[in-house]
Amino acid sequence: MDILSHLDFATAIKELTPELWQGLLIALEATVGGFLLAVVLSVLIAVGRLSESKVLKGILVVILEIVRGTPLLVQLVYMFYVVPLLISLVAQFFIPDYQFQLNPLFAGILGLGINYGCYLSEVVRAAILSVDKGQTEAALALGYTQRQALWSIVIPQATRQAIPVFGNYLIMMIKDTSLLAFITVNELLLRTQAYASQTFLTIESYTILAIAYLILSLPLSQVVRLLEKGFSKHA
Amino acid sequence: MPKPMIEVTQLHKSFGSLEILKGIDLDVHQGEIVVIIGPSGSGKSTLLRCLNCLELPTSGTVKVEGENFADSSGRYNEKRVAKLRTEIGMVFQSFNLFPMMTAVENVMAAQVKIRKKSKEEARKTAEKYLKKVGLAERMDHYPDQLSGGQKQRVAIARALAMEPHIMLFDEATSALDPELVGEVLKVIRELADEGMTMVLVTHEMRFAEEIGDRIIFMDKGMIVEEGKPDELFNAPKHQRTKLFINQVLHPEAEKV
Ligand SMILES: Nc1ncnc2c1ncn2[C@@H]1O[C@H](COP(=O)(O)OP(=O)(O)OP(=O)(O)O)[C@@H](O)[C@H]1O
Ligand SMILES: [Mg+2]
Repeated sequence: MDILSHLDFATAIKELTPELWQGLLIALEATVGGFLLAVVLSVLIAVGRLSESKVLKGILVVILEIVRGTPLLVQLVYMFYVVPLLISLVAQFFIPDYQFQLNPLFAGILGLGINYGCYLSEVVRAAILSVDKGQTEAALALGYTQRQALWSIVIPQATRQAIPVFGNYLIMMIKDTSLLAFITVNELLLRTQAYASQTFLTIESYTILAIAYLILSLPLSQVVRLLEKGFSKHA
Repeated sequence: MPKPMIEVTQLHKSFGSLEILKGIDLDVHQGEIVVIIGPSGSGKSTLLRCLNCLELPTSGTVKVEGENFADSSGRYNEKRVAKLRTEIGMVFQSFNLFPMMTAVENVMAAQVKIRKKSKEEARKTAEKYLKKVGLAERMDHYPDQLSGGQKQRVAIARALAMEPHIMLFDEATSALDPELVGEVLKVIRELADEGMTMVLVTHEMRFAEEIGDRIIFMDKGMIVEEGKPDELFNAPKHQRTKLFINQVLHPEAEKV
């Protein structure tokens, strides 16, 4: 085969690797930001859904349905292109000609955080419900209010339980940062695309990209497995 | 007459349409030890849980040291209820220790969070009560590293560290292996000797007879009979009491 004899992995590795390192830093930034946001949102959504307020519960269910019923990629594009337009429209009532813009990485972090927050909230909710009712009762009997019992006794136990599952979602999020290429975030995929189209080293570039993601996520899966062991203690 | 620590008047409690407590009147005086006995499902736990408002009365009142759990408009304000609960310690059949905390942290938690004590102060108090229940050596163990009897003693220390005026025990030894019951009963006995006001639900009839100032026999949501231990155990007035005591003291005998 002609193509095979023309493969040039050596050049591609040499030229693409530094690019991938740069892209990786951005992907990690997006993951750290997105995941922190997701964790905070997930706990708030879970607690909100377990609250007494019917209105709050209703609003949250609608949001969850919207987020789960649309693809992450569409949400990211919406966050980057549409949300700033909507904000601009509203702002123009007060400030003429105001143009709101979202930094692509920031839009990506918001999009990933909200999407993952909704999925993780189910994990947190299940974990909260699985904590023995006796825990709350013991706290109440000691003089805690419901809210104090929830936040200082139940939620710490629930999050401990949820952490291994969180780990799996974290690895998924790292891989999902590749979607940020579509909203002009200069992460690994976008850089690979650029390099491949300049050099026509298509097979080499994308193979290296795929291997880079594997190298990233395989050890992390091991870490999650270790976490699972560690956190099953005293639970 | 010593002052009443708990006053229960015409307490009714229903779950849905099922009435579990059908008009309970009960006073517990300072330093008094009241033991509630009765068949399974008679409402003993429900009554005990009404005493610290873990169950809200459907009607009737529960007062602790003269203070009604409900406010003047008859509502149960959460902060008010929580505050009154700090005067009442409760020990559960299933211990309910906080699994992610060590023994000493379990005993410290509410002191810091609710009583707003400093960590050092709370630790000192915790150590004092853990010593008292004989667990000085187990302070840094997690609940899953303790035996049932040890767990229950930590739970007692956790309640005592709030320095409550009243202690409630709901079958504190029922979940324990027989050989571990003694160490928990010993701690309860010591509390009794120190004059703690206590309400206990137990199936240990000999212990009830020995420790109780007054025994209450409940059946089907009502107090059938109450009296001093030797009266109630040796000369019960009601047929139902007689049957129950016979059955518990001589389980090998045929059911009547
Ligand atoms: N939260 C609840 N909802 C519905 N029914 C309940 C609830 N709590 C208790 N009950 C019912 O109330 C009745 C009395 O229960 P309770 O636990 O007070 O009995 P008990 O005398 O403590 O029995 P045991 O000796 O078995 O502990 C039982 O029939 C029980 O099923
Ligand atoms: Mg009971």
